[in-house]
Amino acid sequence: MAFTTPTAEQIQAQFPQIEEVEFIQKGGFKAVYRAQIAGRLEAFKLVHIPNLQGEEFAEEFREECLKRITREVQVLGRCQTPFLVKLGSLPPTEAHLGDQEFVAYTEEFLCGDDLKKLIDQRSKPDEYDVRALAVCLLKAIRELWGMGIIHRDIKPGNVIKLNDPQRPFVLLDLGIAYSIVDTPLTFGAEHRPPPGTFRYLAPEMLQPNFRVSLDFRSDIYTTGLTVFEYAAGQHPLAEGRDDLVTTLSRILRERPKPLAQFRPEFSPMVLRTVDQMLKKWPALRPANLDELIARLEVRP
Amino acid sequence: MKLYAQHGFGDGEKLAEGFADGSLAGVVFGAKDIAPERLAERLGEIRQQWPDAALLFDPQYYVSLLGDNPNVRLNNLEDYPYYSAMRRGRLEPADVIEQELRKVLEYQVGLPVSGIIAPNILISRSFEHAEAVIAKNFVRSARKVYAALTDTRPLYATLAISREALADKAELQAFLTDITLLDNRPDGFYLLIAGRSSEARAEIFHADVIAGWMLLNHSLKVNGYEVVNGYSDLVSPFLGAVGGDVGCSGWFNTLRVFSMERFAPTASGGRQPVQRYLSNRLLNRITFIELNALRRAFPELVNGLKRDSEFDTPEPERSKEVLQSWEALNALLKKVTTGEPDDNLKKCLIALDAAENLYARIRATGFALDAKSGGQHIEPLRDGIELFKKLAEF
Repeated sequence: MAFTTPTAEQIQAQFPQIEEVEFIQKGGFKAVYRAQIAGRLEAFKLVHIPNLQGEEFAEEFREECLKRITREVQVLGRCQTPFLVKLGSLPPTEAHLGDQEFVAYTEEFLCGDDLKKLIDQRSKPDEYDVRALAVCLLKAIRELWGMGIIHRDIKPGNVIKLNDPQRPFVLLDLGIAYSIVDTPLTFGAEHRPPPGTFRYLAPEMLQPNFRVSLDFRSDIYTTGLTVFEYAAGQHPLAEGRDDLVTTLSRILRERPKPLAQFRPEFSPMVLRTVDQMLKKWPALRPANLDELIARLEVRP
Repeated sequence: MKLYAQHGFGDGEKLAEGFADGSLAGVVFGAKDIAPERLAERLGEIRQQWPDAALLFDPQYYVSLLGDNPNVRLNNLEDYPYYSAMRRGRLEPADVIEQELRKVLEYQVGLPVSGIIAPNILISRSFEHAEAVIAKNFVRSARKVYAALTDTRPLYATLAISREALADKAELQAFLTDITLLDNRPDGFYLLIAGRSSEARAEIFHADVIAGWMLLNHSLKVNGYEVVNGYSDLVSPFLGAVGGDVGCSGWFNTLRVFSMERFAPTASGGRQPVQRYLSNRLLNRITFIELNALRRAFPELVNGLKRDSEFDTPEPERSKEVLQSWEALNALLKKVTTGEPDDNLKKCLIALDAAENLYARIRATGFALDAKSGGQHIEPLRDGIELFKKLAEF
C-alpha cells in the first residue's frame, strides 16, 4: 500500500528535537532520513501504518503493525552484538503526518554502503572480506536465535559495509523478524504469502505450513545467498529477467551454482561452507553456529 | 574414518593384536558380553597398554524394552546396576527419561572410558510412532543430565533405528530436521541400524537403508557432530565417505550387523561358521576354501596386507580371522574416506565397478560362490549411493 513520503518540514513540525533532516530512501512501508538530534547523527525511520478503514479487519491490522514495529525496536534494544544496528535516541512514537499515520523511531546512523550497491558497482571482495561478512551475519543470527528470533530478511540490501575493522558489516531491518517464543504477530498469517524479498526466501518458507517449523536455519540459507552474491557478483539461482514464478521454482527445485565457478581462487573450505549453507533441506545446512563461526573467522 | 572393535563374548587376544596391528583405534564394549567387574578391569588393561585407544561402553539400554519376551537373553546385562525391564509407556514422562539417563550416565562416569554413550530405546517401527518421540526426548535430555554430573568427556547420544523406519525417506528427513536442531547438543551420536536378524544381509544391503544410513552420517556431520557407527562392518567405507567418523566391526556375525535378535534369539545351536577372508577388491568376505580355489587365477582377490598370511595355511585359525578382517577394513577406510565427500563417493563407485568386474570374471569360469560370498551387495550399494546423492543434494 503506497504512501506519500513526508517532507522534512512536516517531520520537524512534529519532532522539534530534530535539528536537521534529509530524506535518504523509501521502501514499501518505510521511509528513512538522515537526522541531526542533539548534535548527533541518527537514522530517522518512519514506518507507515496503512489505513484500511472500512475493511473488516482494519483495526486488527493496525494493531499488528504497531506491535511489529514495537517488537523490532524492543529486539534491537536487547541486542548486544555490534553486528546488528543499534537504537537511537527516539523511542517508537506514533505520528500523524498529513493524513497518514506512522510510527517514528531512530537508529544509529551507519556511514557506509549497503551490499546491494556494492554488488551493482561490481566490487570484487577478497576472501578475507567475504569471510568477515559471513562471520558478522552468523554472529547476528546467533544473538537473535538466543532470544528465539529469526530475522527472515537477510539480503544484500539489508547489510551495511563499514570502514571499521571491529565492525565491518552490520545487519539492518528486523521488520519481519519472527519470534518462536512469542505469539506470531503476523495477522491472518495463514492467508498471506511469506514475508521477505522473493529472491531471498529460504525454500522451506515456500511451504504452506512454514510458520510452525521455521528456525534459524532459514537465516543461515539467506546468509549463504548474501555471501554468495557479494563474492560472486550475482545471485546463485535467480537471473535478472526471471518472473516471480520462475524465481520461486528455482528456489524450490534448482541446485545453486557452486561458488567455485565464480571464485575458484577461494580456499576449498570457504567454497564448501557457502555451498553447504545453500542446501534446500535445512538439516543439510551447517547449523552449529559456534563451530561455523570458528571455522570462518580469520585470526591474526 | 577410524575403525573400532565391536566387542563381544570371548575377546581373548584379539583386541591386543588388533591394536598392535594398527588396525583398531578403539573398542566399544557391550554390557551383555562382559561382567561389570571384568569390564572395569579390561578397560584398565587396555588403557594401560594402549593409552590413545578410544574406549566406549554401549549400555544396551534398548534391550530393557524387550521386557517379558520369553526368549530374552540378557547374560551379563542384568548384573549392571542401571538395568531393569521397562515398558514403553513408563518412558513417556520427561522426568522418567531423565532418571533413566542419570542412572546409566552415572554408572559410566565411574569407568575409565574415553567417552560416554547415553542410553536410548530402539525406533523399531517408524519415525511417526510414539517410540520416536521418546527416543528424541532421550537425545534432547542427555546433555542436561550429563552436565549435572560435571564430567568433561565427550557425550554420545544413541540413535538406534530399525531398517524399516529408515526406509521411509520423508519421515527420516523430518526426523533429521528435528534432531539436528538441539539446544543442548551432545558431542556426537552412536548410531545403530537394526536388521531383523544378523544373518539377513539383504536387509541392510538395501538401497533405501544404505542411503538413509549415509544420509544420517552426512547430515549429523555437517551439523558438527562426531558420528560413531556401531556394527557397521562393510558398510563403514560408504558411511565414512560422507562424513562418518568411526565404523565398528567384531568377530561374530552378530557383531557385524546390529539386531535385537541377538538379545532374544529365536533358534539356538547350529554349526560354527566357516572362516572367511575379507577381499577388499570384492568388498565382501569369501570362505577360505573359495579363496584357496580362486587366488591363483585371480590374485587381485588378495589384499597384499600383512594378515593375509593367516590364510596361507590350508585352514586358517579361527581366532585370527577377525584380525585379517580389521586390517583389510582399515585399509579400505583409508582408501575411500580421507577426502571430501564428492571425491570419496567417486572412489566408492570405482571400487564397486572393480568388484562387479571381478565377480563377473569369476562367474565366467563357472565357479559358484556360496550365497554370502556373492556379489548381491554391489547393486544395492551403488543404488544407495545414487539415492543418497539425490537426498543430500550432491
